[in-house]
Amino acid sequence: MANRSFTVLTDGTLITCIVEKGKADAIVKAAREAGAQGATVFYARGSGIRERLGILGVAVEVEKEIINIVVSKDQADFVVERMYLAGQLDTPGKGFIYTTQLDKAATYIPPQVVEKLAQSEGQA
Amino acid sequence: MSKDKMPKQVRFGDFIRELNITQNKISFVDLANSFKSAPKDQKLQVSGRDVYRILAPYTTVRFVDQAKAVVPLALYLMLFQIFILRQGVADAIVITGGLVAVMVGLMLFMEGLKLGLMPFGETIGNILPVKSPLPIVLLIAFMLGIGVTLAEPAIGALQEAGKIVDPSKAPYLWALLNVHTTKLIAVVGVGVGCASVLGTLRFVYNWSLKPMIYASLVPLLLITAFVALTDVELLKMIGLAWDCGAVTTGPVTVPLVLSLGIGVASAVGKGDSTLSGFGIVTLASLFPIIGVMSLGLWLASQVMPAEIVATAQAMSGSAGATHWSGQTPWVEVILAVRAIVPLVIFLFLVMKVVLRERVKNAFIIGYGIALAVIGMGIFNFGLTYGLGMLGNQSGSLVPAAFATIDAVEGSPLYWYSLGLMIALGFAYFLGFGSTLAEPALNALGMTVQNLTNGAFKKSLLMYSVSFGVAVGIALGVAKLIFALPLAWLLIPGYILLLILTFLSTEEFVNVAWDSAGVTTGPVTVPLVLAMGLGFANATGAIEGFGILSMASLCPIMSVLITGLFVQYRANKAEDKRKTQAAAA
Repeated sequence: MANRSFTVLTDGTLITCIVEKGKADAIVKAAREAGAQGATVFYARGSGIRERLGILGVAVEVEKEIINIVVSKDQADFVVERMYLAGQLDTPGKGFIYTTQLDKAATYIPPQVVEKLAQSEGQA
Repeated sequence: MSKDKMPKQVRFGDFIRELNITQNKISFVDLANSFKSAPKDQKLQVSGRDVYRILAPYTTVRFVDQAKAVVPLALYLMLFQIFILRQGVADAIVITGGLVAVMVGLMLFMEGLKLGLMPFGETIGNILPVKSPLPIVLLIAFMLGIGVTLAEPAIGALQEAGKIVDPSKAPYLWALLNVHTTKLIAVVGVGVGCASVLGTLRFVYNWSLKPMIYASLVPLLLITAFVALTDVELLKMIGLAWDCGAVTTGPVTVPLVLSLGIGVASAVGKGDSTLSGFGIVTLASLFPIIGVMSLGLWLASQVMPAEIVATAQAMSGSAGATHWSGQTPWVEVILAVRAIVPLVIFLFLVMKVVLRERVKNAFIIGYGIALAVIGMGIFNFGLTYGLGMLGNQSGSLVPAAFATIDAVEGSPLYWYSLGLMIALGFAYFLGFGSTLAEPALNALGMTVQNLTNGAFKKSLLMYSVSFGVAVGIALGVAKLIFALPLAWLLIPGYILLLILTFLSTEEFVNVAWDSAGVTTGPVTVPLVLAMGLGFANATGAIEGFGILSMASLCPIMSVLITGLFVQYRANKAEDKRKTQAAAA
């Protein structure tokens, strides 16, 4: 068997943000402006806060959008902060955000970038 | 941190991170513990800012939805009046207030509908067909048809329109709208009820729509022809009867009846149901016409026109002192309660007695119902002072473009032919714009495009429906100007439709007949009705109904013709490919 190798990224952080349906686009935009490369959005249904809000709970959409963004460890806090502010997550019913440290991640990395990084690693 | 523990190296990234953001940390364990000590169903304390932040987007989105329907139409009417007719808008403040009431009312009503009535509809639709035999389901479908008709917001526009009719000119029409209003709405409701029974059956047995159209249209045309040929007085109510069909298919009827039908289909239906969702709208707009015509015939056999005129005079004499229930804030509230409460009680009884289901989220449903009643009340208010007044005003001023109108100085404003063109163009663009903006049409267009695998483009459907409505409204206005007999426009028109229906495929028939229904929203109907009546009053026509019925006839025709054309083109392309293949 041929010895195949590929490059994995370390020091990645997954940001997961759950917001009301229709709000994701604005938050993703804020995240990209803060340096995130891309985002995945999927749909879900949530519960909890509506019941605790009483009559106001009616105004909270049951259907949610979940945003997944992977950024570098250094970027994470800044991106989270931007997303938190863009989504007004300090208001009840507006959503939830959390980060997870990633062991490994892999995707397409431009070959010249890989080469350059490998060289600088060698120099250090 | 003491000095000797100071690290020699700090990553620059960590440094930036500390500079930018100060994070206060709380342990989740502490948070969870603090919840544990609190009583379980304790409500959250919310600050004023939070309430604003929750409610502002919630209301804005829903308000903007309604504003999109109302504002362009209102602006079009007002600008036309100011720039083309060079007339100021009278009572502009009252009208603006009324239009805002329409938007707020519709916003509350639609939200109330979604929270308070739709959950009933869905639960009943899902459970009823499983638990009950078909006859009971049909009986409930019938009663649901009546209930939703009463709750339809555009129904109020009919009562509104009745106030403008002159009893001495069209006595039966006046009597139907003023004395026998309850009966009128009841027969319309029975019509919708029959339609929802047939629609449900169609879901179950996957019947073709064509025979249903023949079976309901032929008697309808016969009654219309009979009335048109025999009774000169009754002739004047043909317009009202055919317009009633357009009024019934609104935002309450369609989803509630459909949810029952879909539930039935998934429980006992057979075959694919891509098409069976269609057709209910068509039937629900044809059956009420038969009902209203029959009511008119019955009325004509009961009373003489002279008696009605006498009653009308007696009523107008005593009109000075209206009972408190006839005065402005109260009459709207009473109408709203009367419209929604019976439907709610009916749905509730079906849930409790027939299904023995518990009502879930009773609190939210109660809130939704309250919202629907309040919204309907505000909408009714706006109907009178916003849409009704504005439509009536434009309707009565537009004829000044070509005729002498007392209210307008220097009328006719333009040469007769040019003025006539302006008036008809006004009607044409009103129909075109208001239809193209209708969100339901967009949805229908998508369905059609998927159904025909792209042969019938979404934009093609949207434009052909809008074109149809535009021509229809222009024709309706022409009917008022030249006092054309409506029956002789409708009968040949619908006979042509029968022929086209016979020639077209089932898919196009379903789509085309339903396309008439999407154009009759709760904003367009009252506006067009009021405009027609104002127009009629200004030009001295006997009655101003019939515009809506023309606006439902023409789109069916334009869609069917376009459908035939698309089919012809597809067939020709197919033939060409075959001959080419043969040649090769």
